[in-house]
Amino acid sequence: MRTVVVEHLARVEGHGGITVELEGDTVANVRFGVFEGARLLEPLVRGKRYDEVAPVVSRICSICSAAHSLTSLKATEKALEVQVSRQTELLRELLYLGESIESHALHLFLLAVPDYLNYPSAIALAADKPDAVLLGLRLKQLGNSIQETIGGRAIHPVNVVPGGFGRVPAADRLIELHGGLLQGIQDSDAVIDLMASLPEADFCHGDTVYAALVSPNPDSYYAGDEVAVVSNGDRSIVPAAAYKSLTNEASVPHSHAKHSSFRQKPFMVGSLARLTVNPQRLTGRLAVARERLKLELPSGNPMDNNKAQAVELIGDLDRALAIIEQLLRDGIEDERPAAVHPHAGTGTAITEAPRGLLIHSYSYDADGRIASADVITPTALNAASMELHFRRAVEQSAQREEAAISKRLEMIARAYDPCISCSVHLVRRR
Amino acid sequence: MSKPTVGIFGLTGCAGDQLVILNCEDRLLDLVSLIDVRDFLMASSENDAACALDVAIVEGAVLSNRDVERLREIRKRAKTLVALGTCAVWGGVAAMDRGADRRELVREVYGETGLAYDSLPARALHEIVKVDLNLTGCPIEKDHFLAAIANLLNGNAPVYPEYPVCTECRMFENNCLLIERGEVCCGPVTAAGCKARCPELRVACVGCRGPAGDANPSSWLAALAEKGIDRHAIAARLRTFAPEGVVQ
Repeated sequence: MRTVVVEHLARVEGHGGITVELEGDTVANVRFGVFEGARLLEPLVRGKRYDEVAPVVSRICSICSAAHSLTSLKATEKALEVQVSRQTELLRELLYLGESIESHALHLFLLAVPDYLNYPSAIALAADKPDAVLLGLRLKQLGNSIQETIGGRAIHPVNVVPGGFGRVPAADRLIELHGGLLQGIQDSDAVIDLMASLPEADFCHGDTVYAALVSPNPDSYYAGDEVAVVSNGDRSIVPAAAYKSLTNEASVPHSHAKHSSFRQKPFMVGSLARLTVNPQRLTGRLAVARERLKLELPSGNPMDNNKAQAVELIGDLDRALAIIEQLLRDGIEDERPAAVHPHAGTGTAITEAPRGLLIHSYSYDADGRIASADVITPTALNAASMELHFRRAVEQSAQREEAAISKRLEMIARAYDPCISCSVHLVRRR
Repeated sequence: MSKPTVGIFGLTGCAGDQLVILNCEDRLLDLVSLIDVRDFLMASSENDAACALDVAIVEGAVLSNRDVERLREIRKRAKTLVALGTCAVWGGVAAMDRGADRRELVREVYGETGLAYDSLPARALHEIVKVDLNLTGCPIEKDHFLAAIANLLNGNAPVYPEYPVCTECRMFENNCLLIERGEVCCGPVTAAGCKARCPELRVACVGCRGPAGDANPSSWLAALAEKGIDRHAIAARLRTFAPEGVVQ
């Protein structure tokens, strides 16, 4: 028996490790262990009033804190039948895009790209290729400035409340963002040039199942109430309220992240899944980017998630610009949040966080306090699929030295863009 | 003079305070030219996991035996240990339920499988080791972090406000959410430094920075009582981020 171990994954958010056991060249066992402490946040949310929930669940994860806040609010507003204005929807989508731009830029340039160029970190990479790192930092800063302007803070937004916003951002702040986005869009070619120049990484090829929200508007992936699962040309639709038939979660002894499967098969969520489920988004600049990156869809290579993020980054910049132009054209109104009338109710919201499907499902009691809550995060959904691809990578590289195999395992883990603190379950089993 | 050696670590949390460091986008390359970052797992895959450190910066709360061991190990290596963020300084959101039966909670979330997990009630760093500098906030403020590094580089101890968020909010001449709207705003008892982020946006302070050193909680409680707000509701709200700061 031979064992390949990645003890503590670097350049990812949170604490996780990989263990693969081999008998000869045959893989006997694969474990993606999440040893992030279990915060058991569920008891904290239980009994919280409807306006106290988002600020707590936001703390599940910093990189996806806007996604957690907005998904939480969407579930609460569904449960309590609160209608928000069109302006609120657009501003929330803009906040979502800001987070996605920040997250993709951070992941691609600071975490993933150094692997392809054989550097241990972006700091080391900056000594030889400062332009690549500065490009990433500029885009990351742009994403953060959107989050600061709309959400009131880059991490754990404070301005998003049930029914709308504490204070709607003024038009002059949106005009500043517009200027920043025009500059960011000028960086698009450099993003694709850099990504296209990287050596191909393809060492765990095979059939992969993808799951993503079906977007009713081709430009946008914030809205939507149905998930499509795409497998070998098959397309199954799961409505939000039936999310448990998608996730089928099970606790496993080696990880604090529960594992999910759809019809006994693990599935992948994230940018690559979104483009696979919604190929109609790939027009104009996005189609050109996809072609230059030689991104085939559906792909049998999870490493292509990095390419898909680059394509999405460009789409996010365009969409953010379009939203700001629409808001300015329609005129920004300093409206107050829609009124909330607490009553008993249940709501499930599914959105696309930067790293994939995010599900919040709440039941409220008659006083508008949480009776039960369920949160399922993209990294937890991806855990079983990651193990599948680790297994394939080892099978396809069994002849190689351990150091080479473990580097491949780390690259696969990073391509999934895991957010390990997110993956640790916080909610009640029912 | 050689550059000070620095390690940046995360125990259990959301990694938001380390992300604030990475969010110093336009200062990041200057920053790493002034300090020698030897151990920063979130940003680098080549780390010296044993070297002595002039400064260890630790985010997150202690939630497992593994966290306890890592923290003790980090303390041994470091001349100066900085607790970064509300979880490290006060225990943070995971410490909210310290009185509850942990085994029962684990069973509720993970079922029987979970009972074998390495899981402890959340604690702040100072409950395990000596902490030399506290930098609070959920997350920390970027300027406070940069000021801390600048001060430490010059051999000074950084100074942060002892006064509450309420003082900052009044300087901005905001309408008072507590007095005028009867909201449970924690601004009068919460450590300042965020430039009253939430009340500036007409949102009540949730106390994410933990207790202010120089506050007048009894007059705050009296003002809330006058609005007919239940004492337990206030305690529950304060406990959300800093359980230790609450006097029942």
